[in-house]
Formats: sequence, structure tokens, C-alpha cells
Amino acid sequence: MFYRIVRKEILENLLSLRFTLSLLLTISLFAAAAFVFVDDHREQLNDYSRRTNANVADFREQAGQLNKVVFYEQHVYSRPKLLALCAGGFEQSLPRHFVFTGFAIDLPRLAGQSNFALPRFACLDWSFIISLIFSFIAFVSTYDSICGERERGTLRLILTGSIPRATILLGKYAGLMLTLGIPLLLGLLVSLIIVSVSQVDAISGGTWVKMLSIVALSFIYLSIFVLLGLFVSARASRPANCMAALLFIWVTVVILIPSLGRFASDRLSHGAPPTDLAKAMIQAAERVDNEADKYGDRAGARSPNPKECNPPARARYCNARVEAVNEVVESYHNRMLAQAFAGRALTRISPAVVYHTASETFAGTGMQRCISLFRQVRQYQVQLRDYVVGEDRGDPDSLHLLFDEDNLVEEWNAVSKKPVNFDAVPKFEERDFTLSESLRLVVWDLGALALFNLVFFAAAFVSFSGYDVR
Amino acid sequence: MIWKIAAKEFLLNLMTFKFVVGTILCIVLVAIFVPVLAEDYRQRLQQYDERVADNEAKLRQVKAYRVLTPTVYRRPQVLSVFSQGMEKRLGDSARIDFGVIPQIDAGPAEVNPYLSIFPAFDVLLIFKIVMSALALLVAYDVISREKEQGTLGLMLAHPLRRGHVLLGKLAAGSLTLAVPATIAFIIGLLLLSSSRSASLAGSDWARIAMMYVASLLFVLSMYNIGLLFSCLTRSSALALVLGLFFWVLAVAVVPDGSAYLARRLQPAETVEARDEQIASLEKQFDKDLSAGFEGIAPGGVGCDAGGPFDPYGPMGGAFNYYPALCTPAGFAHWIQRGQMEAAVRMKYADKFRDAGRQYTDSQIKQATVARRIGMMSPTCVYDGVMSALAGTDLADSESWAQAAAAYRETLIAYIRDKTDNLSSPSCYTQSTDAERVAFEKASDSERRKMVEVVDRHTVPLNLDDLPAFRYSTDVIQSLRRAGTGLLLLVVFNVLFFGLSFAAFQKYDVR
Repeated sequence: MFYRIVRKEILENLLSLRFTLSLLLTISLFAAAAFVFVDDHREQLNDYSRRTNANVADFREQAGQLNKVVFYEQHVYSRPKLLALCAGGFEQSLPRHFVFTGFAIDLPRLAGQSNFALPRFACLDWSFIISLIFSFIAFVSTYDSICGERERGTLRLILTGSIPRATILLGKYAGLMLTLGIPLLLGLLVSLIIVSVSQVDAISGGTWVKMLSIVALSFIYLSIFVLLGLFVSARASRPANCMAALLFIWVTVVILIPSLGRFASDRLSHGAPPTDLAKAMIQAAERVDNEADKYGDRAGARSPNPKECNPPARARYCNARVEAVNEVVESYHNRMLAQAFAGRALTRISPAVVYHTASETFAGTGMQRCISLFRQVRQYQVQLRDYVVGEDRGDPDSLHLLFDEDNLVEEWNAVSKKPVNFDAVPKFEERDFTLSESLRLVVWDLGALALFNLVFFAAAFVSFSGYDVR
Repeated sequence: MIWKIAAKEFLLNLMTFKFVVGTILCIVLVAIFVPVLAEDYRQRLQQYDERVADNEAKLRQVKAYRVLTPTVYRRPQVLSVFSQGMEKRLGDSARIDFGVIPQIDAGPAEVNPYLSIFPAFDVLLIFKIVMSALALLVAYDVISREKEQGTLGLMLAHPLRRGHVLLGKLAAGSLTLAVPATIAFIIGLLLLSSSRSASLAGSDWARIAMMYVASLLFVLSMYNIGLLFSCLTRSSALALVLGLFFWVLAVAVVPDGSAYLARRLQPAETVEARDEQIASLEKQFDKDLSAGFEGIAPGGVGCDAGGPFDPYGPMGGAFNYYPALCTPAGFAHWIQRGQMEAAVRMKYADKFRDAGRQYTDSQIKQATVARRIGMMSPTCVYDGVMSALAGTDLADSESWAQAAAAYRETLIAYIRDKTDNLSSPSCYTQSTDAERVAFEKASDSERRKMVEVVDRHTVPLNLDDLPAFRYSTDVIQSLRRAGTGLLLLVVFNVLFFGLSFAAFQKYDVR
């Protein structure tokens, strides 16, 4: 009997005008999003490879002297991702340009600037279409599924049979989800075909898995709206009232609540102005300066002749200073991130925000990527220094002291000046989240989405069980 | 008879669930967010005041006309509470200097760039989305419901023109929708005027009145679209579905889509290209400047002092100092040098401006294309009208930049006038001839002392007659800019109502 209800629901939906309209709307949006993405992605890849090549070419020139390798100021940009098709995560407006040497690190900077005269617009990606348009379609297709049948009198007819109400509800739910699945899967297919035909970027195996996770996530998200629609439909006596209520719920959940993040961020935690950072950096360096003696005798002294100074003490002192400054930069960066996260946390009462965050994490874009990139750059700095120290061991003339003072290192011959094989020098390679890492990051989001599902299912079930069919 | 129909419809509407929910939502949202937005405005105003005061304080420290390079700021618009527009995205300060001509540009990067993941929020958003949804919900079943209930047939059995029925419905709809719109506006204004910082001038009230009219026109155009669908379809369910799809297109798809489409249709110059062009101009500038130095007598020893204004801005820092004390030969050098530098910098200011303008124009052209495409959605038209009225649109920023550029001309003329075309000593130094002669003869240690003496007797310039920078959004101009949009909203209304009228004439009441 369950399958009969599902079949009836699907057929009824497929023949309706709203289904045709949704199909047209979503497929054209998916196609448009894919075309836009292909163009943008190609351009971004070009930019990325131009900038990266320039950086590597300059870096290569440093390979003539080992000591220069570590002090070269590298410019690293985040690589444009194919998965931005699924969830772009506002990457264009997030800082993704990293400037660092083997020791020091700056705050990440913005790369490029979009048209200042255009008002801000959302990323046209899968998660935009699904969170905005599909949730809307879910409401439009569910609003009359219970109260509409009551009005037409067919609900009574169904209930005269010996079918439990739970089966009817589940049948309706399954039927609606399957009908929604058709435009969703067709749209995704169109989008993928456009992207793969354009051959803008290779789609690897890992990418497929992540895309599938995002699709699964989308179904979980849409299921919330279907259940919510069924719940409201089972509470309302007339479809018109039900649609009015659903429309206002949609506006609040999908548009208004996500817009509040900015306020929440501003109110919940205050960002520090950049002048504070500069001040804190100077103070940190001064603190180390004042305790220079802690690092050994004459650690504060510097002269071209190593005999006049105490090189090991100087090295300890310099490294302590750069570490102190880096810590300040890192904590400032963390504060900026925390401010943005605070706003996001508060808006998570909306499933749309939860869905956005989770799909961004699966796609490896957005803020989680910024955090991970910063961490990776820090790890790379250690790797680069370790490499230089390792190479330096083979040179009997050097002092074997690596510290953050390029002039002194050069003058004292503290690190070997011999040429190195550039191919062996470690280069920065961005590492994507593995699936298990992303899963660990989104586990709370998944939990929240499941909870929304559960709550609305229970609500729909209870309301429908007590629904007055007259 | 029209009024009877209107009164009946109006009373029926007031009692509906959708009207109550929509109105309450609208009012609650306005009541929550206007104070938050007003607080945001207060903070920005405070920052503006601080910056202006800082600039004033520095003006009182200027000791030579050469380093008179104030900065002018753009005051935040109080009506940005209603429509944020582009205000936060565009530059709000301009350095006034020989070497740079102010022009519209992107604002400074956000302090915390990670906050850019959040969309913008203002009162306009509530109207754009909640009120338009309400308008649609009120309108979708006005005809089809009466048909379904059979009352339409009864009504038309009377000697009643169909046009009158529709006019009555329109009147009822406008009245119904005016209720939440008016309440929301009144609450918003009460909250805004009760906040400490926001003072509304007479011209602001005129603009607010126009905003109210624009909001009514917008909501009414959404109502007329619902009415059209209601007249076109035989069941209200169908009208609702059609209306909702139109609404989601107008509200969510077209505004973002127009920007994307504009980017394809009208590619804009990249900021990198402009920066490269400016960098090459800077090289030429340096070359011209050193060529200029060859033409003048070499200077002697001197002690330079920095001006009070930050050496910020393109090519600002290199010129932000003056000779506190120097030898007579050095002084002659400075006078020649000052005139030469001013000439070269004026020449290059035009070139830098042209390079910048090329970039800016291409960005603005793209934005114009986006706006034109957006005109098919009443939401975008309404958005444009509101930001023009609030003075937060692109055009207002442009005219502010023009005012700043004009102020630069004024300031340059003022400096030229005060310094006898950059040739009088007051342009460079306040040291006397005797001091300069003594300085030449003195030893190094004596010279240091002499500089201190000069530093003590020099006083800041009397800049009381310095013309102040003033800019206020011209109400007439902003009305004119909003005029097209307002007209378009009227056209939307007439068009949709006309179409509904035509459809209703042939409507089958069975």
C-alpha cells in the first residue's frame, strides 16, 4: 500500500504545473551556474598559474645560495577549486593570498578586487540554488498535500481504507522527496555535463566522492523543508493559509536569518583595528628585546664579525623574537576568524546556514579552508627550515645556525651559501581536506540537520495523527 | 459601487490569516532592526566626526603652505538605515593635494575580511521581501476565489461594470497593503528619530516621504502582478503557484543574475591592469621630476621638517615635508623646486586621474548594464529608487568625489593666492633671512640649536580664511535620479493593471 501512495503522489506531482515550472527554473539555473562557473574558473586558473609561476621563478633564483632560500618572501595563492561549483563559499572576497618567509608570516591578504560599482551578489553555485530555490520549491509542492486533500475530500476516502496514518504520511513524504529529486538530479547532471564537456579542470575520484556527499547533504536539507511543509499542512485547515505561513517561514529561515550574521558578529565580539596588531607586534618584539640576556651572553649585540658576538645566543634571541611576533599575528588572525564564526554560530538556527557551512566544508572552500591554509603555511615554514638545516649540515664552513636575520646569517656564514638543487627544495603544496577530515568538521552540522529532520518529522506525525479530516 | 466593493474587500482582507502574519512579521522586524541599524549609523557617524576632528587638529599645526594637504571625508547618510546601497563599498575619504585628483573608487578593505561572508541587511530588505510576499498573497485569489465560491457570478449579475469591480479590488488592495507599510514606516521613523545620533533635517523628511511613495508603488506593483495571475487563471491554487514563481524570480534570481549577466556582457578592466598603468606612470613621473631637478640650481644644507598630515596617498609621502631652516642658496633652490614639483605633479595628477577614470568608467559601465538588466524586476527598480533617495547610490558617491575634486581646485587656488603663486617664503618656511644667513655660517652643533630656536618661534599658519569642504546630497538631484525608477514603477503598475483589466473582461465566471 505504501508504494501505491508513493506512486500516486509522484504521478500527481509530475503532472502539476508547479513541477513543470520548477523543472524549467532549476534546470536553467543549474545550466547558467555551470556556464558562469566554467568561465570564471578558467580565468581564475589562469590567474593562479600566472601568479604561482612568477613566485616559483623568483624562488628558483634563490637556489644559488642555500641561506637565501629560507629568507625568500613567497607569495602563495589558494588554488581555484572545481568543487567551488558546488559551494563557492565567497572565496573571492576572502583573503587567500599568503606572504611569508621561512620565519615570518603576514596576515593573509585579499587577492584582486571585484567590481566595486556592482552591489554584492551571492555565489551562483549549487548550494545557492538548492538552499534558496529548492527549499522554496519544496514548500510550494507540499503546502496542499494534506490540507488540500482534506479540502477536496480525498483524504477521507484514503482513511476509510485500513491504512495507518503513519503510512500515508511516510508515503507522501517519500513521494515528495522523489519528485523533488527529479529536478535536483537532472539539474546536477546538466551542470556536470557542461563542466565536463568544457574540460576546464579534471574531475578526480576524490572530487566525485565529495560531490556525492554534497548531493546527499542536499537531500537531507530538502527533507527538512518537506517535513516542515507537511507539518504546517497538517496543522492548517486551508491550503491558502498554509502557503501564507510557509512563505513567511521561508522568508525568515532562508533570507532574513542568514542576513543577521553580520549584526551578530558585530555585537557578539569586537574586532580589533589593524593599528592594534601593529602595536601588539612591536610590543611583542620589545618584550623579547628586554629579556635579550635570557638567551645568553651578548645576545643583543650584532656586528658583521661573529667573534664580537655570541652567535648561538643571537640565534636563540632572533628566533624567539620572530616566534613572539608570529604568535601575535596568529592570535589576531584567530580573533578575526572567531568574530566571523560567532556571527555564523548564531545564525545556525536556520537550516540554510547549516547547510551552507556543511557543503562548503565538504567542498573544501570557505572559512574552514582559510584556517587550514594558514595552518599549512605554518607547517610548510617548519618544513622549509628543516630542509635548510639538513642541507647545511654538509657544509663544514658554516656555523650551522639558522635564525631570522638575513644580513647576519649571510655575513657570519651562519648557514651554508652553497647552491642547492631547486627541485629538492620543498615547495608549498596546498593539501585538501580528506573526506574523514571534512566529516569530522561537519559532524555537528550533520547532527543539527538530522535533528531538524527528526523534530519536524515528529511534529508532522503528531499533527497528522490528530488531524481532523472533516 | 467601487467603494462598496473596496470596503468589503478591505474588511475581508484585514481578517485573513496571511494579512495578520505578514503585518506582524513586518512590524516585528522593523522594530528589532531599526535600533540595530541606527546604532550602526551612530558608530559610523562617530568615526566620521573623529576623523574630521583629527583633520582639523592637523590643520592647526600646518606651518608651511607646502604641506597643506588636508583630507576630506564623506559623511554617512542617515537614511542608509533604510537603504544601505553602495555606501559601505565605496571610498569615503579623499586627500586633497597637488598630485592627486579625488575620484570615485572602492572603499578601504574591511577591517575583518572574513565578515564579507554575510549578506547586507537594511530596512529595504524587509520591504523588498516580506511586503512583496504579502502583496502577492493578498492579490492571488481576489478574482479566482470569488469565482470558486460563486460570488463573482452573483456580483456580476448586478448592473455592474467589470472594470469597476477590478478598480474596487485595486483600491482595496492598496488600502490593505498601505496599512502594514504605513505602520512599518511610522515605527521605523519613531525608532530612528528617538536614537540619539540621528537628526533628520527638512530635506530628509522630503526624501523619506518619497521613499514611502516608492514603497507603496512597489508593493502595489507586486499586488497588480498577483491580480494579473488571478485574472488569468481559473483556480486560485494555480494563480498562487504562478505568482510565487514570479516572486522568487523577481526577488532572488534577477538581482543576482543581472550582476552575473552584466559581467559576461560587459567585461570590465581589472584592477591589476590599472595598477600596472599607474606604476608605469609613476616611473615616468619620477623621470620627469629628476629632469626637472636638473633645470634648477642645486640646494645647500638644510633641516627639513615633516608636515602634520600622514604621508598617505599616492605620491603623498615624498612631498610631505618642508625646509624648517636652510641656507639662502637652499632657499632659492626650494622656491624653484616647489614650483617645478607643483607643475609636474599637477600634470601627472591629470594622467593618474585619466588612468583611474578608464578603470572606474569600465566598472560603472558594467554596473549600469547590470542595473538595466535588473529593470525587468520591480524589486531591482525599487532597490535603485530607494538607494537614490537615501543618497547611498553610486551617483551620489560620484558627485561627492566631484565636489572633492572641485575643492582641490579651490585649495590650490587658495595656496597660490596666499603664496604669490608658490614663490613667497611662507609657502616653504617661516625662518627669516637673517636666520638663514646665520645658518650658513654656523657650525653643525650651532645649527642644531638654531633649528630648535626657529622651531620655537614658528607658529602654525592662520588658516581661518581657508574655504571649508562642504558636501550635502542634493535632494533635487536625488529625486531626479530616483525619477526614472519611480516612473518605471508607475508603468509597471499601469501595465499589470491594464493586462489584468483586459484579462478580466474576458474572464469566464462559470
